[in-house]
Amino acid sequence: MIRLLAAIGGPVVAALASIGRLTRFAVTALLRVVQPPWYPAQVAQQMLTIGWLSLPVVGLTAVFTGSALAQQIFIGGSRFNAASTVPAVTVIGVVRELGPVLGGLMVAGRVASAMAAELGTMRVTEQIDALVTLRTDPYRWLVGPRILAAILVMPALVLVSNALGVMGGWLLATQRLGFNSAQYLATTARYLEVDDVVSSLVKAAVFGFFIALMGCYHGYHSGGGAAGVGKATTNAVVSSFILILLSNLIITVIVFGS
Amino acid sequence: MTGPRIAFAGVKKAFGKRQVLNGIDLAVAPGESLVIIGGSGTGKSVTLKCLLGLIPIDAGSIRVDGQEVAGLKGAALDQHRTRFGMLFQGGALFDSLPVWRNISFALGGSVAERRAAAIDNLARVGLGPEVADLKPSELSGGMQKRVALARAIAARPPIILFDEPTAGLDPITAAVINNLIRTLVTDLAITAITITHDMTTVHSVADRVAMIHAGTIIWHGARAELEGCDNPYVRQFITGSAEGPIKVPGVR
Repeated sequence: MIRLLAAIGGPVVAALASIGRLTRFAVTALLRVVQPPWYPAQVAQQMLTIGWLSLPVVGLTAVFTGSALAQQIFIGGSRFNAASTVPAVTVIGVVRELGPVLGGLMVAGRVASAMAAELGTMRVTEQIDALVTLRTDPYRWLVGPRILAAILVMPALVLVSNALGVMGGWLLATQRLGFNSAQYLATTARYLEVDDVVSSLVKAAVFGFFIALMGCYHGYHSGGGAAGVGKATTNAVVSSFILILLSNLIITVIVFGS
Repeated sequence: MTGPRIAFAGVKKAFGKRQVLNGIDLAVAPGESLVIIGGSGTGKSVTLKCLLGLIPIDAGSIRVDGQEVAGLKGAALDQHRTRFGMLFQGGALFDSLPVWRNISFALGGSVAERRAAAIDNLARVGLGPEVADLKPSELSGGMQKRVALARAIAARPPIILFDEPTAGLDPITAAVINNLIRTLVTDLAITAITITHDMTTVHSVADRVAMIHAGTIIWHGARAELEGCDNPYVRQFITGSAEGPIKVPGVR
């Protein structure tokens, strides 16, 4: 019986300890974001890395997904004479779900891994210890700017992603499915609501927070040389994917569930 | 008579079940260059990190200029660290910053002033201003060590810690680094602690030598006393013999 309890209790305690460590890390980092001194050059550099350099991959994902979505809605809708719903369903699907979620996942794959690898390398090469000995708080210099930049830049990135996703659907619908261009755009505009856009941007900011948090957390606590950095990178990507999908579900239920 | 600048008394530190420091007792006088020798995994680097407050100790006392280090937090810990410069084993230069910004990282003033200070410190370690705008990855291992040395002395701290300063360097570059350390320690009247396996570093840099084994200081004395020392651990270490009381883990 004791063995059974130990077998169950050990992992539970370990999981609770991990949650506690992560929460403390997140709170410390967020406090550093709001308290001076700030490092605007670091934030700008991270905004460039996270936002501008992610644009090609996020944009391509949005265009291809928007096009594929329009094609599927057309095929499905044709079965019950509802092919005309393509513009409305595409814009709702892209803006509410696919734009932020796929954009978030693509950025997580690109950015969370890079952050974990960079901070992990800094940890194992003692650069983080060097920062501390130079009286610079690593949370303030490394973690805070990454989290702030991700929260600020992800909504802009998702806004572009949404526009490109809708454009992908429009391109396919007008070039391949025989839709009238002006009518398609007018229907799109009529069905797009402010709540859709706001929820999309809120999701993006939350995803940005989780992406940077996971990248920094796993990198910061990396150990064990190259293997440790590799493990931190994998953990950062997997955990940010899970948190993006979970938080997306929660936000969707809260905003649209009623 | 002044007291020691740095004093360790009964310092203990364990990581899980592994007792790394097992009662370190050590004192370093102002302006003295102490070299700590010892095998890998004996607690040399941990000793330095405890002194800097990077790793909290489990028991004992570390005093710097009479002030207790254990328990320092926040601004007091930052203030404690202003006394130190540190040369890390691999240099630990920030990859994303050019050389001059690495050196002037902890310095105040305008960009022009910090750049000028960086170039001045580069000159102290024998490097020209053309290095200032390079990234650390563009430098050789020896140049990286020199830049890291320039960063360690940039704020003119009264104490500098050197962690394996010649590790991974060829003998000639290692000799240059050793000479630089000795010159800087003498010229800037710095108190220095160097940890190393390299006996050339010991002979070039040390005023006094301490040997650490299994987390304890097992011998210490003036450099001149080292060769005549009859401690079997010290004899084995300085002669580099495989036979003796020190056993390498995993080797029969």
